[in-house]
Amino acid sequence: MNVNVGDKLLGYATDPGIRNRGASGGLVTAVLAAALERELVEDVIVLKHINEYEAVPIITDDVDEVLASTGSMHTVPVNLAKHATGKKVAMPGKPCDVRGVIEQAKRNEIDIENTYIIGLNCGGTMHPVLTKEMLINMYELDPEDVVGEKIDKGKLFFKTQDGEEKGISIDDLEEAGYGRRESCRYCDVKIPVNADIACGNWGVVGELAGKATFCEVMNEKGVRLLENAIESGYIQVEQAGEKEIAIREKVNSAMLGLVDKWTEKIFTDIPLQERMKYYMEQFADCIDCGACKEACPACTCKEESKCTMYHNLADDYKMSMYHMVRLLHLSDSCVGCGQCSDVCPVDIPVTTIFRRFADPAQKKHNYKAGMTLERPPFLEVMLK
Amino acid sequence: MADRKEWEPKIVAFCCNWCSYGGADTAGMGRFQQPASVRVVRVMCSGRIDPLHVFNAFLEGADAVLVTGCHLGDCHYVNGNYKTEVRYQFLEELMIEMGLEPERLHLSWISASEGEKFASFVNKVTTEVKKLGPSPLKPEGVN
Repeated sequence: MNVNVGDKLLGYATDPGIRNRGASGGLVTAVLAAALERELVEDVIVLKHINEYEAVPIITDDVDEVLASTGSMHTVPVNLAKHATGKKVAMPGKPCDVRGVIEQAKRNEIDIENTYIIGLNCGGTMHPVLTKEMLINMYELDPEDVVGEKIDKGKLFFKTQDGEEKGISIDDLEEAGYGRRESCRYCDVKIPVNADIACGNWGVVGELAGKATFCEVMNEKGVRLLENAIESGYIQVEQAGEKEIAIREKVNSAMLGLVDKWTEKIFTDIPLQERMKYYMEQFADCIDCGACKEACPACTCKEESKCTMYHNLADDYKMSMYHMVRLLHLSDSCVGCGQCSDVCPVDIPVTTIFRRFADPAQKKHNYKAGMTLERPPFLEVMLK
Repeated sequence: MADRKEWEPKIVAFCCNWCSYGGADTAGMGRFQQPASVRVVRVMCSGRIDPLHVFNAFLEGADAVLVTGCHLGDCHYVNGNYKTEVRYQFLEELMIEMGLEPERLHLSWISASEGEKFASFVNKVTTEVKKLGPSPLKPEGVN
């Protein structure tokens, strides 16, 4: 079967083992395994399962390890972009991973021609620690008993060892302070149209539900990836019908509909007189661990970087120069992935603060960081 | 109030080597009266002025920062000042979002012959900043 750019397909792994293990037909796992086996790439980045709430990114050239990977986990909010630097890899990724990869590629850290990205639809991810807390308080389940989770029709389900399933609507969870991470609530890229192929279970209905993946081919690299997997007999695809495409669109717009509500709720207007005090107080907690810089998928500076070189505790400035330099330097490329808030040991809402500055600036230049390679960062390179 | 009258603001002016630094020179040669509040930092091109330099000036105790350069189209390095403009507009919005008065940051294109313009620009900003008082980012112990 010929695959063309722009095709919308339904696909699944031919091997029943992979198909049943994977969340929706094992298409992504199979495509990754095929890319590795037929030497389209040298390595593959996957998540290695530790327990229900934890997984670590690994870079592997072993097909078996790819097949044993975890698949999608809502409680592992890692960003894989920085793992792809300097290698010929294929990787799965949420929209923010993909945006991170493109920002890295803009700064010549990643060779985009040799990096294959399989985008995954993403409605949001959750904190592992908060999820455990939520399971005890809201679901009244023992976190150790949980063996699976899924999101269906706006409800979050958890399955226990005895086969019991319990679901609570995500809206209710979020009102109670649990649910998705803050940055996911106002993220407005749910389908990774910037990846090579955009996959997900949105739009898979009827008898294929849960057994196949909807996938849209975004560019030539996507064609190569899929054709490679089809030729090697790893996957089977068919054209998606109009009904499936419409449902996928519907899920997407329902997800995006929530974005405005949360944007308003999270970015409350701070009175003009109190702004300075607010930022000073937030940044005053900083212990200079530098974790936000390490985790940032848009940052490509190494050891010697502006933000650390201009920062000296002896200066005793009223506002941390480290954060100010990062803010000024990254406002044109912040993708809003939320990694910096996640890793902050003193819980400074770094992402939310960054978005307060980055959002208006990026909107003004009609620029969305990490969506296309054609637009260089506007603070660094003059736009025509 | 007595202190306030004696208080002289500290203003950092970034001047590009080819135009506005010459403008400041011409202002001096032309004997235009101007307050002693300005500290000039010479850079080769206004495109060299990173937003972080501006912010560092504030954190070091500047009450206002002036970004000056050649007129658009006259840049010695072809398009350096267009980049300055983009960064300046971003900084302007950042100042408001941060809660710092936007009157503390100014951009002006001044050519080497416009001594009078430089002097009146400095005069204007000094009066404005005197009204505003010291910057909230000024470190303790700096006047």
